[in-house]
Amino acid sequence: MDGESAYSMEAEREMTRLWRTFRTVYELLADRGYEVSDHELALPLDEFRAKYADPLGYPESSKRVHIANKLFRNNSRTKMKIQARPTETMKMKYTPLPSKANPNPQPDCGTIYVDFCPDASGVGTKQIRAFNHLVDENNFHTGIFITQTPISPSAVRLLSTLPGRICEHFQEQDLLVNITRHELVPKHVLLSPEEKGKLLERYRLKESQLPRIQISDSVARYLGLRRGQVVKIIRKSETAGRYASYRWVI
Amino acid sequence: MDTQQSQTHALKTSLPKTYAAVNAQQRPSYIHPSEEEQDKYLKARPGATQQHLEIALQHAQQIQSQKEAEDVILDRILELLELPSSSTADPATPSQEDTMKFKTSLVPFRPTDYDNLILERNFEESCGYTLCPRKHRKQKNGPGGGFQFKYGLKGSGPGGRGRSVEIVPQEQIEKWCSDACAERALFIRVQLSEKPVWERRASDTRGTTILLLEEARQKRLVAPAATSSVSSVLNDLQGMGLGNSDRSRELAMERGDTSLTRPDGRVNVDIRENERGSQHAARAPQMRPEDANGGSIEGYMPRGQREESVDADGDRDMLDQI
Repeated sequence: MDGESAYSMEAEREMTRLWRTFRTVYELLADRGYEVSDHELALPLDEFRAKYADPLGYPESSKRVHIANKLFRNNSRTKMKIQARPTETMKMKYTPLPSKANPNPQPDCGTIYVDFCPDASGVGTKQIRAFNHLVDENNFHTGIFITQTPISPSAVRLLSTLPGRICEHFQEQDLLVNITRHELVPKHVLLSPEEKGKLLERYRLKESQLPRIQISDSVARYLGLRRGQVVKIIRKSETAGRYASYRWVI
Repeated sequence: MDTQQSQTHALKTSLPKTYAAVNAQQRPSYIHPSEEEQDKYLKARPGATQQHLEIALQHAQQIQSQKEAEDVILDRILELLELPSSSTADPATPSQEDTMKFKTSLVPFRPTDYDNLILERNFEESCGYTLCPRKHRKQKNGPGGGFQFKYGLKGSGPGGRGRSVEIVPQEQIEKWCSDACAERALFIRVQLSEKPVWERRASDTRGTTILLLEEARQKRLVAPAATSSVSSVLNDLQGMGLGNSDRSRELAMERGDTSLTRPDGRVNVDIRENERGSQHAARAPQMRPEDANGGSIEGYMPRGQREESVDADGDRDMLDQI
């Protein structure tokens, strides 16, 4: 009896962790400008458990076959797949300015697909290849692959080899809490090409004269920023109330 | 797959004609920009000259070749994951075909790339040594934990007494199926060149000829080859055809002295002395009338000051007198 409660507590903890990660993913999608319903954003733990947990209350029972009947082997992570479409505002932000060569540009964004990797360890090129194939086959514009452990260096490289598509990778533990909700993280707002042009004109700058932010910056990764974009960072200031600065993504 | 094949070809050959023929179709425009694009670049940058453009181009080409090389390495890693071709292959006596493929694939590798290959193979549950079909070892005490004692031979301890004991992290042991395979794999690793491919020159022979452990042992058993006679050296020299200009151009290409884009050298370097030398000593700044109130701040006149300077009726100097 005692052992059983210990197991269920462990199951509870793991399930809660997975639920928090899942919620952060929805918040991330909403912050990037994808269509996410309010219900998805505030998904209660009970509902998440009912939908994804196995009969024993574990997120994945494959690890614990010795206590469970093998028939119950299922993995909630294989069921956790998310697709979202960009909203109109996001499309606008990702539409380049019309130029002579390209008078009506199309927005450079599309359906995003999020996949949770069920493998508990050893995520390498095999899984990434399958993921890349999936993204390519279903014609998703962007793919996010979420794993429990770090992936191998060649897997990281392989992830960026899909031409014309964007594949990103996060670890579950990085998404346990939403970093942008922390009080010390200022608000980052992506500027549309038009706003960027206005900013450069107003300050009479070339874009290379702006301060920079790395593409590997945690918030830049969270927002899925791309090279050449400009983010406005709004900080609280004791003297000025609010203080805006701009960063060029490199 | 087809494009990958041709890319590997492109990297292997140093003959300009073959190189150009292979890459003619797929070279993107930013490697060889058209006249129009070059003009556009120069117009957008008022201070830039043709020389700047060439330097920029050369850097762009370097970066591009780096990227291509990395892609090639990644492809090779993926290919080597499939080896050995038969599941019953013996790592001690691998098939000719697999050995050839393994050796040729390893040429652009650095030791870190090789480590990645081992890691990937372990993820696929196979032994880290590419020519071994077995699964890698698995210790009982769970993943990611602990150290293991490894006992040496009898008499390998300090002073020839007892046995040496090594404490090895578990992950190190789990990379291979056996100690023999570990030795084979690490023997390959030490032969690889630390230099990335795009910085290698034809003179860097390290890493180009890789021996398997078995081959190296065989070689050591066979007596070293007899020293070459004078006539054979002469033959070799003639064979090289030093006077031939085509050949010497090829040689220069291999050394990296010339590139395909600039056959006559890397970049035109033209050194010009700065005309204004250090003859003029710097002069101390002099007080000007407009500096009395602090002057402008980087060209900007503070508003109060500007108004004062407009009505020049003597009030302005009052401050100074007080």
